Amino acid sequence: MPQHQISMVLDLNKCLGCQTCTMACKKLWTDGDGMDYMYWNNVETRPGQGYPRNWDKIGGGFEDGKLRPSELPSKEDYGQTFEYNYAERLFQGGMQAMPQEEVRNTPNWDEDVGALMLGENYYFYLPRLCNHCTNPACLEACPRKAIYKRAEDGIVLVDQERCEGYRYCMKACPYKKIYFNELIGKAQKCIFCYPRIEKGEVNACAKQCPGRLRFVGFLDDPESAVHKLVHVYKVALGLFPEKGTEPNVFYVPPFNPPRTGSYGKSVLEDPRMPMDYLKYLFGDEVFDVIRRLEGELHHAQGGGTSEVLQLLIGRDDHVRYQIPKHQDLVQIQGAHKA
Amino acid sequence: MKNRRDFLKLGALAALGASIPGCRKADKPQLEAFTGPLDPLRAYPYRGWEDLYRKQWTWDKIVRSTHSANCTGSCSWNVYVRNGVMIREEQAADYPRISADLPDYNPRGCQKGACFTEYVYGPQRLRSPLIRVGERGEGKWRKATWDEALTMVAGRLLDNIYQYGPDTNTYFSVIPAMSPVSFAAGSRFAQYTGGVFCSFYDWYCDLPPGEPLTWGVQTESCECADWFNSKYIVLWGSNISQTRIPDAHFAWEARYNGAKVVGISPDFNSSMVHTDLFLAIQPGTDAALALGVAKYIVDNNLYDAPYVKEQTDLPLLVDKRTNQFVRAEGSTDRFFFRDAKTGKRHEAPGSMGSKEKTIALNGAEPDLHYSDGEVTTVFELMKQKLAPYTLESVAQTTGLALGDIQKFAHEFATRKPAMIIHGAGLNHWFHNDLINRSLILLVALTGNTGKNGGGFNHYVGQERVWPERGFKAYAFPEGAKKQRMQNMTLWTYLHSSNKDPHLYNGKPIEHYIEESIKNGWMPLYPKKRDQKPRALIVWRANYLNQAKGNEYILKSLWKDLDLIVDLNFRMDTTALFSDVVLPAASYYEKSDISTTDCHSYVHPFNKVLDPLYDSKPDWEIFRDLAKKMAQLASERKLAPYHDQQFDWHRDFTKTYDLWSGNGKFQQPEDGANFILDGSPETKGMTFEQLKQHPQRFKKIDEEAWNSEIKEGQAYTPFQHQVENKRPWRTLTGRQQFYLDHPWFLDFGEQLPVYKEPLSDSAKYPFFWNTPHGRWSIHSTWRDARYQLRLQRGIPICYIHPEDAKARNIQDNDWVKVFNDNGSFVSKVQILPGEKRKRLTMYHGWERYLGFLQGGWQSPSMIKIKPTQLVGGYGHVVFKLNYWGPTGNNRDVRVDIVKYTPTAADLQAIHRTGKAKA
Repeated sequence: MPQHQISMVLDLNKCLGCQTCTMACKKLWTDGDGMDYMYWNNVETRPGQGYPRNWDKIGGGFEDGKLRPSELPSKEDYGQTFEYNYAERLFQGGMQAMPQEEVRNTPNWDEDVGALMLGENYYFYLPRLCNHCTNPACLEACPRKAIYKRAEDGIVLVDQERCEGYRYCMKACPYKKIYFNELIGKAQKCIFCYPRIEKGEVNACAKQCPGRLRFVGFLDDPESAVHKLVHVYKVALGLFPEKGTEPNVFYVPPFNPPRTGSYGKSVLEDPRMPMDYLKYLFGDEVFDVIRRLEGELHHAQGGGTSEVLQLLIGRDDHVRYQIPKHQDLVQIQGAHKA
Repeated sequence: MKNRRDFLKLGALAALGASIPGCRKADKPQLEAFTGPLDPLRAYPYRGWEDLYRKQWTWDKIVRSTHSANCTGSCSWNVYVRNGVMIREEQAADYPRISADLPDYNPRGCQKGACFTEYVYGPQRLRSPLIRVGERGEGKWRKATWDEALTMVAGRLLDNIYQYGPDTNTYFSVIPAMSPVSFAAGSRFAQYTGGVFCSFYDWYCDLPPGEPLTWGVQTESCECADWFNSKYIVLWGSNISQTRIPDAHFAWEARYNGAKVVGISPDFNSSMVHTDLFLAIQPGTDAALALGVAKYIVDNNLYDAPYVKEQTDLPLLVDKRTNQFVRAEGSTDRFFFRDAKTGKRHEAPGSMGSKEKTIALNGAEPDLHYSDGEVTTVFELMKQKLAPYTLESVAQTTGLALGDIQKFAHEFATRKPAMIIHGAGLNHWFHNDLINRSLILLVALTGNTGKNGGGFNHYVGQERVWPERGFKAYAFPEGAKKQRMQNMTLWTYLHSSNKDPHLYNGKPIEHYIEESIKNGWMPLYPKKRDQKPRALIVWRANYLNQAKGNEYILKSLWKDLDLIVDLNFRMDTTALFSDVVLPAASYYEKSDISTTDCHSYVHPFNKVLDPLYDSKPDWEIFRDLAKKMAQLASERKLAPYHDQQFDWHRDFTKTYDLWSGNGKFQQPEDGANFILDGSPETKGMTFEQLKQHPQRFKKIDEEAWNSEIKEGQAYTPFQHQVENKRPWRTLTGRQQFYLDHPWFLDFGEQLPVYKEPLSDSAKYPFFWNTPHGRWSIHSTWRDARYQLRLQRGIPICYIHPEDAKARNIQDNDWVKVFNDNGSFVSKVQILPGEKRKRLTMYHGWERYLGFLQGGWQSPSMIKIKPTQLVGGYGHVVFKLNYWGPTGNNRDVRVDIVKYTPTAADLQAIHRTGKAKA
């Protein structure tokens, strides 16, 4: 087990679905060859097909302590990376600019679609990244032992030198957050921006998030926002707890407004979004969390002050991120010795 | 784990333990740390490779810059350069905090700003001057030198001036706030060459005409941090999660701080998902809802009487026979209320003609309810007007649940402060002025205007040039009176084959247009009516792609123009349909400054790298054009042109001297410093200083704005009026809901009323809705590859599942959308959150990309509202971008059918032969 676990909490009630996180990650990490289709961080509309398509339905993770690998998603499941004939159309008198292939799927194909219940639409945005699990199925599945969990921060990495591209990890991951780079024949995934984290700088997806919904810190740091949200206020849950990987990315579950004519009723009593769907994603605990959050919201809107909501406001990045530089930890240890 | 100290100690132990982060590739694996078999869950010896990603997060330099796309963001970004290439950008995230209680503005920016570097090097980038060789729009060009291109442009402009008059040369550029120096480069050129300078804020229908009508201002909104101060936020036709990405957090955070957030929109959009109450309103019926709420407030005595008596025209007396205000004898601008204390008429202080420069009542007690045989009050007239808006009738009109409306009305009146965040969803309707006025009435009745966390806050278009005084002096150096200013809606309507078939009080719009021009209310150029515009110069804009009445314009105006010149960093639709294309430096290759309504800071554009390829900052392009014109005028030995309108002998050999202020402005930075120095907001700041971090404005120009910038407080407008009792900038000196201009009386619009959307024709059942969305800022980024890959990546028309079913349309089909104005063919997406009987396409798609036919503006036409042609009424006078007809585009109806691609279409779609049908 790692000595420490870095972690992220995402408040889905602040997510704008704007994909700035996706773009930040893309431009920093996956802008290279063989990575066009790859989004280590993506945002998907839920309910929906997700990215890759149906990732939540095809398997992966553990069952009774045993790996339950899935099939590999197809290329089309990840979505097309079409190009347009700009130069031809704009500078050479060519035909109308059209995608080079018929577009049938993209990583955000069903944006803002969601579903209908009794004639009313519901949906929310789910930003996703590698969960840097405590019990990573990918690590368990790798025959090369090329996937490891860093002792100092619990970040899970694919060794880009030792990986042979067998892709067992991709089948094992229940979140389908490992991608295959065909050009170099290696598995690649979110590295939780460890080069930044090591220097005390928060991940690009969090740093660049204009919705300010991400909280980052060590789960075992009692003063961190992530610790408080997960363990003290208990308002954040991992995705698919039953898959047995113990994810370290947590979500404050989403609300939708009441149905037409139901203003004033509890979201549990008369929800726009079926509670079963939230249970499917976050497990049984989601009912308690929703009840707790709704209570806090009513308290605040009734003129009171809610501690947990004040924290979720996250007025500046000092409130949202607590990331000691790795080198500082060493220095403090030195001082302690003296 | 007990406390943080223990946590840090353990961290240190870990760092000294088995695995050391950051060890180099050359280091040997520390195999001695392992006693058993390799267990990567506990420890891993081969960590040298980790430098791979550490190296990826490195750079040679970081330069601060921003974007200029009219998004209202005005976000400060750091651009990272490695090996001479701009590799990525990240928000600078260093806006100084306003106060400890308010959330800060960081990180300001969105996914579009996060990938602008793609455009810098992208395939759309313009690299050298181009001169058209094929048909307009065909995309056939020859490269030209700068000298050749500028000689051609300057020569033709001169020809036009001497042959047809300077008012046949037309200039169009938008939104100075987003880059005022670049804007001014061209406006100065237009001024010194006598060209027509066109408006944009009204043409794009971003101007809320209700604000000039009611408040006498162009637009005044709180900065977005002030949303956090609210206890009741109504998102009314504003999808902040998509269109105010850097600011939306303030609303959702305000909710955690005790605000309720209400969303009013026909569709269940990205912002509605986070609201406490979602009102799925019938399109175009918003004024009915507002007036229903107003009636509820009045009926239940929930209005703020002292505020209303002092701050609004509701107590003013109106003559029952003429429906005109009771005025002081021989005066047009002095008014009365009845003093309840004395029972006598009392002149209302602070009106335009009043000697008193205050609206303070000094003990008088205006009677809101007075009525006798001859006179009554605006308040009483309003009550009569509100009578039909019962909750029942409003529920029927709007399609909302009566209980929801009632709770909304009650909460709006009782939770304070309450604010309305108003967007293009409402402002783009034909009756936008009535909608604005109805909503403004609500915040006035409840005393919310002029208070932190309250008010009617309109955010559409980055119209606010905070350092306005310096800007105006730089952009229009000889003053507005010596510049040919033109309302663009009127110009485009009259110079194209647009013909509005509707009758207004039985008369065609042309009747009102001619009246307005004849009365001198609205200008029209060229002045000689038999003359047509000859040249159009466009920069910082995509006029053609965004113009309503697209099909008419292409068939008429675009054929009549002899010369179309576009300055641009990318080949957008206007550039593609131009004759001469001049390659401008991108946002990252020039110097300028940026401000917005959404915050109270100024920050710079900087040259991250020198202009790439053969491009130049637009500022330099106009400089060189001015030089070229002077050179040609000398070579041609042109005698000065006598410009009769201004009695101005224009000596074109002096064009550059005039343009450059006799050499005062050598660099864009000189312009920036001139603006900063010439404005109270920024006096003392220099362009160099801005490079350090965004600076908050120091004070405000009292001629321009209506509240102070206060330390520790978010800016909200109208504190001058509400706290300091200064008159409002209207005829009556009050928030003016009653307009007794004869045209307003003729149309029954002297007070806010609800009028149904203007129907094109009963035969087209769907509303055509083209809102702003998250994936582009107007047309910018609409064609950007990184953006397209995260959507469906091709123009999409959204339809409700039931409507799709009824027309046998499947998701991702090709569809044809059409009406009498035009049609287009695009893909369709079935969207459960869409309103029945409405079709939506997010606006801005480039005409050249992804459509099989037409473009998103093909079904639209220009419809001018007669009352927006009014002038000569106190504060209601033509002023560029401040008052003039808006280019509304919501009252359009269309139909949709499934479309089967033809053989020619298939050839276009499968041009590469890669894909199958």
